[in-house]
Amino acid sequence: MLTLKKIFLVFLKIGTFSFGGVYSMVAFFERELVYKRKWITRDEFLESFAIGQMTPGPPIINTGISIGYKLHKLWGALAATVGQAFTGTVLAILLAAFYLHMKDNPLLQSVMKAVAAAVVGLLASFIYKMLITLVTDYRSATLAVAAFLALAIFKLNPIGILLAAGALGLVLYRRD
Amino acid sequence: MDLLKMAGIFFIANALTIGGGYAMVPILQQEFVNHYHWLSNKEFIDAIAIGQVTPGPLTVMNAFIGFKVGGLTGALVAMVASYLPCVIIVTLVTKYYLRYKEIWAVRASFAGIKPAVVGLLIAVLIFLGQGSLTNLTTIGIAVISFALLTFTKIDPSLIIIGSGILGALLF
Repeated sequence: MLTLKKIFLVFLKIGTFSFGGVYSMVAFFERELVYKRKWITRDEFLESFAIGQMTPGPPIINTGISIGYKLHKLWGALAATVGQAFTGTVLAILLAAFYLHMKDNPLLQSVMKAVAAAVVGLLASFIYKMLITLVTDYRSATLAVAAFLALAIFKLNPIGILLAAGALGLVLYRRD
Repeated sequence: MDLLKMAGIFFIANALTIGGGYAMVPILQQEFVNHYHWLSNKEFIDAIAIGQVTPGPLTVMNAFIGFKVGGLTGALVAMVASYLPCVIIVTLVTKYYLRYKEIWAVRASFAGIKPAVVGLLIAVLIFLGQGSLTNLTTIGIAVISFALLTFTKIDPSLIIIGSGILGALLF
């Protein structure tokens, strides 16, 4: 079996250079783990990728957790999680400390004013992409509209809305 | 006590993150901004921006929120609580994959949740937009960011950094 340190280090590398969206990440995973190090086969990788897509949480992290589990059981899964999360978490903490310290700085306020507008544009783009792939028939359109109204108009709790949507899914998608 | 409540929210939000990393945003917004007032609306948007510029998934924004709520300990608690459901669920699913694949209830409930996430996110988008798109310049930045991410392959972190530079020059 591989040592946990090696598993941690390769996922640290993956987590640190994970820019450019899902597809470049998939290529990165394949290159590092399947072709370069030959730790897993391509089929094992594809299975873990599928698991990442069909479990709750960020799909790329979940793919890594699944691969870690295949390499070294639960400790492998934990090493993969910590490795992947490490760089982002450290940077976020540093940025948070800086941000809270400099909050009243006029230059930072100008920067964040524009950044907030950009975030709205990015979020709109993510939603647009989800909309065209996920809302494809009358059932999904009804669920999307109902969830929107439940939150925007009736101010219901999003956790309750999602649980209700899951229960409705059991009825609506039973025969699929 | 606050840290425990916060951990519970992150745990539930991540256990319900179905259909991409942004699925947790409506839950976090409701609990942290509207219910507990641990973050202002503006700080929440800034947290999303931090999640975008840092490597790794959007989940990294939770370290920022945790830091705001409870300092360094808060940030670590936030990350552990966020990834714990992933580790539990993914290891079980990896172990029992062949059986899990066949469970129709998982497929059907996910199929119900994913479009609902889209509806919730549209509501959140309108809410966030009202707070941050206050004049023609900010609307312009949002439209350009939308177009760049939708129609080109440019990385979202570059869009955030670019808009920040623009903000320093314009405002």
